[in-house]
Parts: sequence; structure tokens; C-alpha cells
Amino acid sequence: MYLGLDVGGTHTDAVIIHRSGIVAHTKVATTHHNLLECINQAFKNVLTGIDPSLIKRVNLSTTLTTNAIIENKCEEVGVLVSGGPGINPLHYSIGSQYYTIGGQIDHRGTEITLLNLKQLEKAIKKCRKKGIKVFAVISKFSTRNPVHEQYIQQKLDDADFISVGHTLSGNLNFPRRIATAYYNAAVWRLYNKFSHAIEESLRELGAIAPVNILKADGGTIPLHVSRTVPVESILSGPAASVIGTMALCNITEDAVMLDIGGTSCDIALFADGAPLIEKDGIRLNTHNTLVRSLKTKSIGIGGDSAIKVEGGTVTAGPQRLGMSMAEGGHNPTIIDALNVIGTINFKDTERSREGMYALEKKSGISSQDIAQQAITYALDIIYNEVMAMIDEVNARPVYTIHEFLKGKVLKPKTIYLIGGPAKTLAHHITQRFGWNVKVPQYAEVANAIGAAVARTTVDIELFADTQRGRLLVPNLNVNIRIPQHYDVDNAIEDATNYMMQYLESIGVDEKEREIEILQVYSFNMVEGFETTGKNIRVHCQVKPGILHQCRDILKI
Amino acid sequence: MKAKSTLGIVFFPAFDWAIHPLHPEREERLLYTLDQLNEEGVFDIEGIMQYKPDIASHDDIMRTHFCFPDVAKVTTESHLISAGGTIKAATLVMDKIVNKSFALVRPPGHHAMKVVHGARGFCNINIEAVMVEYIREHYNVKKIAIVDTDCHHGDGTQDIYWHDRDVMYISMHQDGRTLYPGTGAIHELGGPNALGTTINIPLPPNTSDEGFLMAMERVVVPILKDFKPDLIINSAGQDNHYSDPITNMNFSALGYAKLTEMLNADIAVLEGGYSIQGALPYVNLGITLAMAGLDYLYVHEPDYSQKDLTQDKEITKYIKRVCDQVMKRYEECKKPSFKLMPGNYDVRKKEIYYDTDNIREMQLESIMVCEECRGVLKIETTSTVNPLSLGIEIPLDACDRCQKEGYRLLDNALSGDRYKYVQLIDRRNKKYVLY
Ligand SMILES: [Zn+2]
Ligand SMILES: [Zn+2]
Ligand SMILES: [Zn+2]
Repeated sequence: MYLGLDVGGTHTDAVIIHRSGIVAHTKVATTHHNLLECINQAFKNVLTGIDPSLIKRVNLSTTLTTNAIIENKCEEVGVLVSGGPGINPLHYSIGSQYYTIGGQIDHRGTEITLLNLKQLEKAIKKCRKKGIKVFAVISKFSTRNPVHEQYIQQKLDDADFISVGHTLSGNLNFPRRIATAYYNAAVWRLYNKFSHAIEESLRELGAIAPVNILKADGGTIPLHVSRTVPVESILSGPAASVIGTMALCNITEDAVMLDIGGTSCDIALFADGAPLIEKDGIRLNTHNTLVRSLKTKSIGIGGDSAIKVEGGTVTAGPQRLGMSMAEGGHNPTIIDALNVIGTINFKDTERSREGMYALEKKSGISSQDIAQQAITYALDIIYNEVMAMIDEVNARPVYTIHEFLKGKVLKPKTIYLIGGPAKTLAHHITQRFGWNVKVPQYAEVANAIGAAVARTTVDIELFADTQRGRLLVPNLNVNIRIPQHYDVDNAIEDATNYMMQYLESIGVDEKEREIEILQVYSFNMVEGFETTGKNIRVHCQVKPGILHQCRDILKI
Repeated sequence: MKAKSTLGIVFFPAFDWAIHPLHPEREERLLYTLDQLNEEGVFDIEGIMQYKPDIASHDDIMRTHFCFPDVAKVTTESHLISAGGTIKAATLVMDKIVNKSFALVRPPGHHAMKVVHGARGFCNINIEAVMVEYIREHYNVKKIAIVDTDCHHGDGTQDIYWHDRDVMYISMHQDGRTLYPGTGAIHELGGPNALGTTINIPLPPNTSDEGFLMAMERVVVPILKDFKPDLIINSAGQDNHYSDPITNMNFSALGYAKLTEMLNADIAVLEGGYSIQGALPYVNLGITLAMAGLDYLYVHEPDYSQKDLTQDKEITKYIKRVCDQVMKRYEECKKPSFKLMPGNYDVRKKEIYYDTDNIREMQLESIMVCEECRGVLKIETTSTVNPLSLGIEIPLDACDRCQKEGYRLLDNALSGDRYKYVQLIDRRNKKYVLY
């Protein structure tokens, strides 16, 4: 049996999946002031009548780190940055303790200028004086040569935690590396307390299964691994929905997923059944990060979006002013509009009508028209956002003639609709898009199902430079010598092996170690008119998807 | 960070195409530029967007060039995508999606002339010219300036716009007496219908930032002010860099950024530049930041030393003289001097060598002297790969007489069997035909 739990903005959902299908599910209100409370409640509910020792695996998707970052409840971090020439690194200042240190590494990984030790000492001294215990250490091109980061790391021997840039991602992007390392350090203590508490609670309930944390790319990592990379747990909510939709529907074509909730609507795209991954990483609090994620977009339209009439125009969202009037709220919402036009018959329809009538009196537009226009407005926003997202994907840059000529164009004609108001909106969505709209069974807990069945994902970037004689896999901390005759086949083999070893070390089942090579480049490096070496890059991943065992259970 | 002026970057490094694995224009060429731009987070800056190139059609090429025996034989997909990249850069600006754009594409194009039999100076088709003609066909733009800051004289672009008075072609380059292709002297000022709309600024070897910026200030900026173009295009070759292996100049990344700021071009198109590790990543970063109106003062090469790159006083004096002479000639072109009688043909005989493909070509180029339009153009050409062929161009603004004359030339050519191939470019009716 697999237990999946997803902490959402409004509700916390939990499910248990067994050979016979979904054997239990629960929905409790999210207690934002103390997430542990609703998580424990959901655990208790869903485990009622079930022997907790039969649970083989617990997968958890939580908003803890996301909220801490958004609400600025982070610990102060000493950020030590070695930039070198380029864009002035002061532009990327983050937190209150940001220090730039002289030094330069170039794009090949050659150390051009040594670290400025005086500046480093001074910065560390200042941080210590402020009582700072967690640090983020980042240098430009550290994924090509981590020597500056490693040196600074050594100097911080008395820190509680050090977040080191190159270990977080093998991708290039210095500003993103700074933000990622910063957030990782800023939520570290909070996250570790939380994960400790979760383990305690489960033990008390009698569950001894390993616990995994869901990431934004739709994969999981073991809880003990996540303790040093808590930033990986941010914004995993939409990913849970995507994986859940994959689990409930056998998607094989180009498609769109819409997860319509109370406050927002999450959009995701599928190409030939595979969810699209964001090339660089997720954006949080105006900062881009290197945290890999599925390509999703969240817009401020949901069942509880408040309706506004201003100067003869009717709009809805993006803010939520409480529940619908039908449920006892004080502002008419999209749910109320659906009640008024008769699409649904939800709770107190009379109050929905009253609310809409109040707007009619203020604006002179009839209740029916307001309701209709609000729904049309919301559908238009969803439609336009979906189209913009598809256009953006299709306009994505390519770097080879092969990619250009073979370039796949995304042309979805199917929508998978999940979330609370999914069923009631299906008809309207069908009309607006003119596409095939499918609402799966269990659409309202698809996210928790997604959390339950998601498998472990990893992605690595291998970088080999035969002229310098070096091979790096930055986020696995591999940095070794290679011979002159090292070639692209060796690189692919090595990348696969390093990945295998890593998956084994974190306890991933053999059956789940499906490695996919995403990109292979090999360039001859020439100086004068002679080849001096090869510059090889291999990018591979365990792609996001559903656990093997669960595929059998869900019969897909 | 937010761009003051929005910038669209069409980045197409063609990682799977090269003339030859050891050729300077090879797969690796834009690799480190991409690494640098990615690591600096350039594509995350608000207002800087990255776009996919378009692919140029055969019509796009035939609107600009006479290709013999045909477009398919002288181009590969990479050329069409590179030219399509410039078209994308143009539409981004013309459709007001962005304020400015930068086509970071390869292979380059500025040595490709009006007639194409093969590749010269690593170029098969002139990607700037294909872009300019695309703009003129699809948008209402009359006057365009192309400022070529590649170290080599852009003899191809000069050849294409030699007779075009609505395109101001300004090239600053290492003096032709010291570098390929050898052309680009001060006295090369344009054909009889377009005198003074070709400007050449030959700079001596070892010119540094000071010299380039002086030429900008004393020649380029005043001429542009005088010409009042609707659109400024920068053929942004980067081989003036002090580390470039095939040239002898001392320009720096910071200098390129300053020049870019002064020029304030609407569209920049990458041309040459073969110091792919030591220069391109930094120069491209500098140009990108300058076009976006962002702070670039922190951009410099790993081995940059201002002291080593300080310009010799003699060189400064010499460049001053060059600037004065160029301006004097430019002013002289405005005076009503001896002009040929309208309706007559002005004839040039040209010998062209395609160094990359080892082809020799002989041309007889005739332009109708016309006061009303750019004049009908006729080029008879024969080369080591093609027998005698003919190209006829009726210009965009053709007067009735030139239009008629064009079709008379075509009828004559088609009724005899003198020419193996005949291509017509009829810009007035948007007809591009190969017979
Ligand atoms: Zn030039
Ligand atoms: Zn050049
Ligand atoms: Zn005429």
C-alpha cells in the first residue's frame, strides 16, 4: 500500500492506494499556522481501519518551504559570492548578508584570478559577528570548476549548514544559482525540524515505511536526502496534480491539464503523453531558481474567485474574498454564478441569487448577464493563458539544424480536467475550447494520488573537457581526471553509471532506474588549425512518471 | 534587473554544421557565447527574450540575389536558417514585439555579393541583405542604414547596395591593403545613381577602442544624422577584437559595447569573429547589455589590460586624417558634379574570386542611369562552375521606363540562346523567376 499526501492552499488531501485500487481518501482543511496539525489529521483519517505497518511507502507534497519563502519567514543567510567580470554580481543581491568576493573562473573552468582572501575573511567575520549559522556559497562557472566554492566551504567549518552552489544543479546560470543556494540555506533549519516531526508522527501511528518528498519536477526524493536540499520541495503542488492526472488517465497524446481549485487554476502541458519540463527552473518570489520543475502555470481563477462589476464590465479574480455565498461567504463568486445560471445546484442557491442581485442593483446589469459574463471572463482568461503557454513552447529556441527541421509542434486537442469544480465546469470548458474534455474519476484528489505514485527523479549534467583532462558531474560532486582519448560514448556510459550508482545509494528500486539521455553534444576544440580536445556535454535524467508497481495497480 | 529597451535575441549556434571541422567558422563557434550568456542569466533579464529563427524561403533569397544555377545549389539548410534568423530579428522589431533585436546566428553573410556562384569569405548568401529586402517588401520602410563593424570590408553588402540610394552602407574595417578582401578604400562611394550612400572607413592595423570610437563620433554618427534612416542595422562582426586569430586590430569587449551604445542600432546581426573563447563570449555579452540599455562597464575579457591596448599616438593622428577625408568625400558627393545622361547604361567589369569554394567569376554589370528611380540593373556573369548567365533587376521604386526596359532585356535574353540561366527580380510586381 502506498500513502500519498498533498498539502494544498485550501485543502490537504491524502489517499491510500492498494492492489485493489484507491482504498481510502480524505480531505481536511489546511491549517496554515501549523501544517503538522492538518497533516497528522489527514494521516489519521486515511489510516482509519488500515494496518499502518502495511504501508510500503509514504510520499509527501508540502507547501512548508514555499510558504516560508513567500511569507519571508526565512533564517538569515550569509551569502558569499565570487563573481568575476560580466554582469556586476551586486545586481543579484539577496538577503541582508550578501558579500561579493573577488576571483574569476572562466567558461572552460580555468581559474583566471584567485579568490580575494582578504575580502573573504572580512565577510566571514562580519557574518559571525551577526551570529549567522547558515551560509550559501556561490561562484560563477562553479559547475565547470568548483574550486572557489569548495575553498570558501572549508573556511566555514563552524557553520550549521552550508549550501554550495554547484551541488544544487549542473546547469549554468549564476543568478539562479545564487537564489537557489540562498533559499536552500534559508529554509534548512525549518525544514529539518518539520521532517523530523513528520517522521515522529508516522512512527507514533505505527507506519514504518520510508518517506519521500515530492519535488516540483514531479519526482520524489527520500526524506533523508532532502534534508540537505530542502529547496527541492518548493512548489511541488502543481506537479502532484500532473502526476495524478497521468495516473488516472492514460495520456498518450499532446494534451493540456487544467487543475481548477478554489483560488487558482494550474495549467500543465503534455507532449505525446509526457509532461513538459521547464528548461531552467522554477520562479519563486520574483527570483528564478535552478530547481527543476514541470512546466506549469498558475493563474488566479478558481471556483471561489470573487466577481467584480466596474463601469459596466464584469471580471473575476485574481483575489479570493472567502467562500462562495452559497457556502456562507459574503461576495459572489464563480460558483455562485454557476448556481445562478443553473449549471449547478450547489448548497444555498438562494444566497447565490441574492448576491448576484446585489450586484445587479449597483450596476444596472441583470443578474443573469453578470453571472454569464463572469463565467465567460474566467473561461477567456483560462483559454488565453493556455494558448500563450502553447505558443511559448512552440517558439522555444533550438540550437541545431536537426532540432530546427525535426522540431515538434505541440497541438493539443484534449483537456484533462481535475480539481474541485472540475465536473461542473467541464461543459463550459468544452464549449470554450472546442476540444475533447475528460474528467477522470477521483478528479478531486488527483493531486494526492499523484504524490502517492510518483517515482524518484534525478537529473544530471556531465561535462567533459579532454583538453583540460577533466570530467565533472557537478550535482553529484564528481570531479575526476580523464584521458585525452575520452569520447562521447565514454561520456554517455559514465553519465549512466554515475546516475545508477547514485540511485542505488539513495535506495531507489532497481526497476525504477530508467535512465533517459536528454541531450548529447560533442565539440571539437580547435586552436590554430589543430584539434586540441573535445568538449562533451551529456544531460540525462530519470524522467518524471509513475512507479512501476502503481502502474499495475492503476491498470495503465 | 530590467532592460531599458526590450531586446529580442535570435540565437542559432548551428551546433551541427560546419564548413570543415577545423575551419574557424565551425560548430564550436558560438558554444562559449551561449555558455557565457546562460551563466550570466542574460535570458532571465526582464525585457530580454530569446526566439527561434525562421527559415528563409527561396523567394526570400531570390528577392536579393541572383543565384546560379539556382538557390538550392548554392545554399544548405544552415544558410536558410541563418538568413531566417535575421528575418525573425527584423519582424520582431517591425511588428513592435521588441524595441531592438540581435541575430546571433551563423554562418555569416557579408561577403556574399549580388550574384552567387558559391561561397566566399565563409559566406554564401548575404543574411543582412536578405533581411533588408524582406523588410522593404513587407513593411513600409524607405531609408535603411547598414553599419558594418566587422574587421573585414563587407564587400558583398557594398556590392548589393552599390546602386541603392536608399540604403546607406557604412563599413569600418582593417585597411584593405592589409587584410582580406582587399577592398573598401575611401574613394569607393557608390554607383552613379547612389553616389555617397556607400562609405568606407579603412582603419590601420592596431587600431584600439579610441580609434573605433573616434570613427564613430567623427564619421558614422554625423552621416547617419544627415541621412536620417528609418532603420539602423549593425553588421556586428567581432573580429576587430585584440585576440582574434585572423586579423590585427586591438578592439575590446568594452569598446564594442560603447560603440553599440553610440550607434543605437535597431537590429544587430552577428557577422565574423573567430576568437571563439577569448572574445566572443565577452563581446556578445557587452553588445547584448548595451542594446538593452543595461550597465556593461563590468564586462571585460579575462586577460584584458587597458595599458597594453592603448593606441599609438601616430595611429590616432592617422585615423583623424582618414575621418577628415571620408567626410570631405561624403560632402563632395552631394555637389551636382558630372553626371551621366539618364537612359544610358553605366557599365562595370568585375572579376570575383570565391576563396572558400575556389571559383572564379567574370561579370559585366550595367545600371541604367535614371533620375526617377534606382535604375534597372543587368548583370552578365560567367564562372568556372556556370556558363554565361544573366540577372535582371527591376528595382522596388522602378519608374515606368525602367520597368519596361527590364522586360525588354528579359524578352531579348529569352529569345536568344546566349545565356544558360536567366533570373529576373521584379521588385515592383514581387516576381522572382529563374528561366
Ligand atoms: Zn566592415
Ligand atoms: Zn570579418
Ligand atoms: Zn527609372
